[in-house]
Amino acid sequence: MGLPLFRTGDDPGPSFFRFAENAGLTSLPGAGDVASAHATTVIAVRYVGGVVMVGDRQATGSYIASRDVRKIEPADSFTAIAISGTAARGIEFIRMAQLSFEHYEKMTDATLSLEGKANYLSPIIQRNNLSTPLLVLPLLAGWDPSHQVGRIFEYDGAGGCYERLDFATIGSGSPFADNTLRLGFRSDLDLEGALELGALALYEAGDNDPATGGPDFVRNLFPMMVTLNAEGFKELGDEDVAQRFRTINERRTESKGLAGGTLR
Amino acid sequence: MSNFFYVSPEQLIKDRAEFAQKGIARGRSIVAAIYDVGVVMVAENPSASLNKISEIYDRIAFAGVGKYNEFDRLREAGIRWADGTGFTYSREDVDARALANYYAQHVGDMFTEGPKPLEIEILVAQLGNQFRPTKLYRIAYEGTISDEPRFAVLGGDAETIKARFAESEQDLEPLAVTLRNAVAALAGPDRVLASSDLEVGVLEDSGNRRTFRRLSDDDVSRLRE
Repeated sequence: MGLPLFRTGDDPGPSFFRFAENAGLTSLPGAGDVASAHATTVIAVRYVGGVVMVGDRQATGSYIASRDVRKIEPADSFTAIAISGTAARGIEFIRMAQLSFEHYEKMTDATLSLEGKANYLSPIIQRNNLSTPLLVLPLLAGWDPSHQVGRIFEYDGAGGCYERLDFATIGSGSPFADNTLRLGFRSDLDLEGALELGALALYEAGDNDPATGGPDFVRNLFPMMVTLNAEGFKELGDEDVAQRFRTINERRTESKGLAGGTLR
Repeated sequence: MSNFFYVSPEQLIKDRAEFAQKGIARGRSIVAAIYDVGVVMVAENPSASLNKISEIYDRIAFAGVGKYNEFDRLREAGIRWADGTGFTYSREDVDARALANYYAQHVGDMFTEGPKPLEIEILVAQLGNQFRPTKLYRIAYEGTISDEPRFAVLGGDAETIKARFAESEQDLEPLAVTLRNAVAALAGPDRVLASSDLEVGVLEDSGNRRTFRRLSDDDVSRLRE
C-alpha cells in the first residue's frame, strides 16, 4: 500500500472503517451461505462500580470446533467487545473495532466517548448483517470515564444500538442466561454479587444450550470473566474463575441437579 | 503562438529550494534524539493543541516543522498507512523505513512536479526491538531522506542547533539529560524556554504495546530540574 493521501472532499477523517472500505481492506459483502463456526453465550451485568462480563469458550459448527475461544476482548483500556454469531466475521469485527478506537485517538489526539464508540459500531454491524448470512451480534460494555459509570450497549441484527441499564446477553444460550439474570439482578449489586450472578447465568446457559460451553472440569477450561471499572479492563485469573464454577457445581450436585427455590 | 521562456533545471530547483527553505525558516525547530532507553522529540511549540509531534504506530512517531496543514496531512496519511498495513498483515510488519520511503517519494514528487514544493521537514522515529533497530529518518523538503545516527534537528536554524546539541551530548544519556541538552540547544545562549512553550513526546518501552507518550508540562519541568 502506498501513502494514503486524500483530497479534502474524499478524506475519510478519523474513521478507520471508512478508510479501510475506501482502500479495499474490508471483507467483501455478499458471500454465500458457508458453514462456519459460531460463537455462543456472553453476559454483561452492571453493578454499582462498573460492569462484569462472562463468556463461554466454545465454538460450535455441526460439532464442537474449539473449546478455548476468547469471545470477550478489550477494545481499549476501558472498553470490552464480545461477539456472537459467525466466528470468522466476529473476529474481524473485533480487530476492526480495536483498531478504529486507536486510530481515532491517534488521528485526533482525543479519546472517543463510550457512546461514540457504541454508535460507531452500528453501521459496521448493519453493513455486515444486511449483506451476508454470516451474522455477527456484538456486545459493547465499558467504564465511561466522563460519567463515572459502567455502561452496556447491545445491538440488533440491523445494527440498532440499545443501551441496557441492567444486563444484556448475546448468543444461543441467551434465554437461559437471561432468565437467571432477570431473577437475580438488583440495581445495587456489588462486584462480588455481580460476579456470582454472572457465573450462575453462564452455568445455566451451558447446562441447557448445546452450543454453549459450560465449565469443563476435565480439561480445566472455564468461561472468561472480566471486570470493567475505574481501573479499566481486567480479566479474572484462571483459579479464581475455576473456584466460582466449582462452588456452583458442588451446590448443584448436592441438590441433585435442581436449581432449587433460591438462586443457586 | 505562445512564448516559451526557457528555465534551466538548475535554476528551477534553486528557486523552488529557496522558496521551501524560506517557508521552513519561519517556523521553530525540533530536536529528536536517541537516549539510553528510548527516543525523545522536543519541539518549541507555544500551542498546546496544534501538535508537531504525534504517535504513528506502536513503536513509530512523527515530527514535522514548517507549514502545519502540510505536515499534518502527511501525519494523518502515515497513521492510515500504518494502521492499514498492520490490519492487512500483522503489527510486526509495520516498519518505519517503509513509511519514511513513502514520505520521501511524495515530498520529492511535490518538489519537482507539484504546483509548489511542500514547505516542511519531517521526521519518522522508530524505537527498536529484537527485530528492528532504533532509527531516526529525516525527510527534507526536496524528498531527500537521511538516516540520522543519534539525533536529528528539523527546521530553519538546524545547523546551529545541531552544533550546540552535538557539543553538549556526546554519548547516550538518560532522558532527563538528553531533554535538558535538547532544550538548551533549541534555546541557544540568550534565551530560556519555559516548559509550557515545549512539546515533548517520547518512545519508550513501559510494558505496553504502544510506546509513544506525551510529556505534560509538569513532567517536562520535573525532568528539567
